[in-house]
Amino acid sequence: MPPARHERLARLKAALPAWIAVIGLFLAWEGAVRFFGIREFLLPAPSAIWTATVAVWPTVLAHTGSTLLTVLLGFTASVLVSLPLAMLIASSRAISAAIYPLLVVTQSIPKVALAPILIVALGANEVPRVIVTFLVAFFPLVVATVAGLLATPPELIELGRACRAGRVQELLRIRLPFAVPFVFGGLKVAAALSVVGAVVAEFVGADAGLGYLIQTSMAFFRTPLAFSAVVILAIMGIVLFQAVSMLERILFPWSSGAENSAPPSA
Amino acid sequence: MIRFERIGKTFRGRDGAAVEALRDVSMDIAEGEFVAIVGASGCGKSTLLRLAAGLVPASSGGVSIDGSAVTSPRAETAMVFQAATLLPWADVLRNVTFPLRLMKRIAPDTEDKARALLATAGLAGFESRLPRELSGGMQQRVAICRALLQEPRLLLMDEPFGALDALTREEMSIELLRLWAARRMAVLFVTHSIPEAVLLADRVVVMSPRPGRIVDVVEVNLPRPRSFDQEGTDEFQRCARRIRDHIFGNRAARAA
Repeated sequence: MPPARHERLARLKAALPAWIAVIGLFLAWEGAVRFFGIREFLLPAPSAIWTATVAVWPTVLAHTGSTLLTVLLGFTASVLVSLPLAMLIASSRAISAAIYPLLVVTQSIPKVALAPILIVALGANEVPRVIVTFLVAFFPLVVATVAGLLATPPELIELGRACRAGRVQELLRIRLPFAVPFVFGGLKVAAALSVVGAVVAEFVGADAGLGYLIQTSMAFFRTPLAFSAVVILAIMGIVLFQAVSMLERILFPWSSGAENSAPPSA
Repeated sequence: MIRFERIGKTFRGRDGAAVEALRDVSMDIAEGEFVAIVGASGCGKSTLLRLAAGLVPASSGGVSIDGSAVTSPRAETAMVFQAATLLPWADVLRNVTFPLRLMKRIAPDTEDKARALLATAGLAGFESRLPRELSGGMQQRVAICRALLQEPRLLLMDEPFGALDALTREEMSIELLRLWAARRMAVLFVTHSIPEAVLLADRVVVMSPRPGRIVDVVEVNLPRPRSFDQEGTDEFQRCARRIRDHIFGNRAARAA
């Protein structure tokens, strides 16, 4: 279909400046390191990072897999908890008044401080890492979903009531679909934050993962490998973000364009 | 068919003070009659509509349809709002059938009826478009079709053309009359356009603000089908002037 092809071409064209900027940045980086003769343990050149990664790629791959598992589990947990929680908060003023302060408390605690406590309490396994990831990721998702559920135009609610819709019907047939663009806004933030959460947890208590790789590499001044982990983490965040965007475009095509007309107020 | 009997409505304002929106409003609307309500902002027109829809309860007095009190929304009334308030995720056809699906009143021929209705409203071929792909006038047409598909005996319209430009507005008024003529349900139409009220209605109810009261009921004795050509007639001018005098005369007296 010509319009679809045209659209793809337009999207490619829109992404072009970003690619040029990224490639230009790496070239400037490489050039600066070579020109000024910066030592590798201070700032490795991109080529050095690449060489270091390729040399031990099975190890890097294993660490990446370990982090990805934590990220995905934590992200899934945050989705499973946030959506029902948001519905609960949006459904009643009393529940919202009871839960919101608690949520804010969980957000004001630095997760880096919480991680060692959780690891002592729950053991050095996957569980505390997933919990830390979840704690970092779930809050923006709850806030965005609640905002979406409450942003439904009052006329739409009135229409539902005029059609004698009950509260459950109102939530499922009107409020929830209306909140979809907001939910996806929250999901994108949560996806990016999940990566942050997983690395924070790995810094404190893990024997695998990219966070662990960064720490052990730096302990031996193997800076290129640490940089390699950082780059992989960035790519992981971008891929997750794009995956969520793509899911939105496929499942809710009306929503991806609606974002412009209904910006999340959170 | 619907009777408002000595309606009073008092709201509690945001600052806790009581605001009297309606006082002692009584009127009857007959089967198939087109009644317009005109008045300045804050005269309780929309509140009256919501009372008729059973969305809000009266503080005193009551609304009854065929003698039975209106305490909650009923199947025989349908409402059109100032904004089209379409579901952004549903296409035109599913928007039009949404109330019936919500009320589980879907019949095998509902979809055919919806398509036919959309065609008479000039929306043939747009059934699978999303609301955001339509112009404001087209969206409001969809909203009117959505109300008409419920086959209401009483259609409540809250400034349905208020958000449209003047040209679209005239076009839509004539179209509404055409749709109404084919069905003949009672219509209660809130507006603040005097010509619109005179053009559309059999009777124009004039209300004054704070608290909302009925100050006059103007019978419009113009033959149907109506058109904007009638705007030049003596009867049209007589009605419009009488309504204007009530609304602006009131204001001039207060300013003096």
